[in-house]
Amino acid sequence: MSSISGGFLPVRIKVKNAETGASVEMELETENTIDEVIESAATFWSKDMGAYVLRKGKKVLRGGNSLKDAGIRADDVLELIPDPEGG
Amino acid sequence: MDLDSVSDAKVLMIGAGALGNEVAKDLVLSGFRKVTIVDMDHVVGSNLNRCLFFTPDDARKKRTKAEVLATGMRRLSTTAGPNSIVGRIQDQSDRIFSEHDVVFGCLDNIEARIHANSHSYAAGRTYIDGGMEGMLGRAMVSRPPDGACLQCGMNRSHAKVASMRFSCTGRDVVFHEPKLAAEITTTSVISAVMVREALKLISGHPEMMLKNAFYYDGQRNISEEMEIPLDPECPIHMSPRGTTGKRKRFKST
Repeated sequence: MSSISGGFLPVRIKVKNAETGASVEMELETENTIDEVIESAATFWSKDMGAYVLRKGKKVLRGGNSLKDAGIRADDVLELIPDPEGG
Repeated sequence: MDLDSVSDAKVLMIGAGALGNEVAKDLVLSGFRKVTIVDMDHVVGSNLNRCLFFTPDDARKKRTKAEVLATGMRRLSTTAGPNSIVGRIQDQSDRIFSEHDVVFGCLDNIEARIHANSHSYAAGRTYIDGGMEGMLGRAMVSRPPDGACLQCGMNRSHAKVASMRFSCTGRDVVFHEPKLAAEITTTSVISAVMVREALKLISGHPEMMLKNAFYYDGQRNISEEMEIPLDPECPIHMSPRGTTGKRKRFKST
């Protein structure tokens, strides 16, 4: 289990790694942003520097949004996927 | 498909690497004749295993990718009249976007993508962007003034690597697990989707086009449409200038 801050942790979600199928549970505050979740998950899996997006179902989540604004609730499963930028 | 309109359409293709080669092939074999190719690089040996139009002689003689691609397109169709511009898209006149009907991004870096996306939007032109990484690929259509643009789907992780080139032959290489170079079957899938979207647009069937991003994962055998919501804080949509160009309309057949 991984946590972004040491404060009050009201929301526990699962983040899946699209590249490996692995998953990690994260405890977060609703004010944490999607950008912070992406960075935390990428760090947890020691991802190479690159562009990633987080999605819930078929919807890509906006980086600057808080979990609350993005409508993320406890037990939601999000997926971290690379955003391919090669050509 | 309206082949007369396709034949008359002016296409701006930015980037002549692996994706650019496949898009160029699909464009010319689909009936597009007026294609402007912009790329600043020359051919190197490591391009050859995934670039249809490049030869060892092109690499030895350091021929420019844009010119080699234009020559290759003429070889496939004697009626094709591609133009090549050797240089960065950022160094071209803004008018280049409004002078074309549709813009293809076959780029290897986010900075140039952002430039192409924003300038296409300002000119009122549809921007079709493709990206690949090993067996992962993505194609996205931005159609001003409706819906999200490419930049709406970007976040802080994009900003951190915006100036890096995601090339398997250049510097600043970024690989995702598992480590794979540009992979031709993924390139073929993404280029086909990109050109098909242009065919719909030019033939007057925008209602059939992708509204969001097409995502392809060849490892997991997944291909799906993903929703990219319009970001009201996206600089493209916040700009007071917005879209100044008139959206080009194509007749429906």
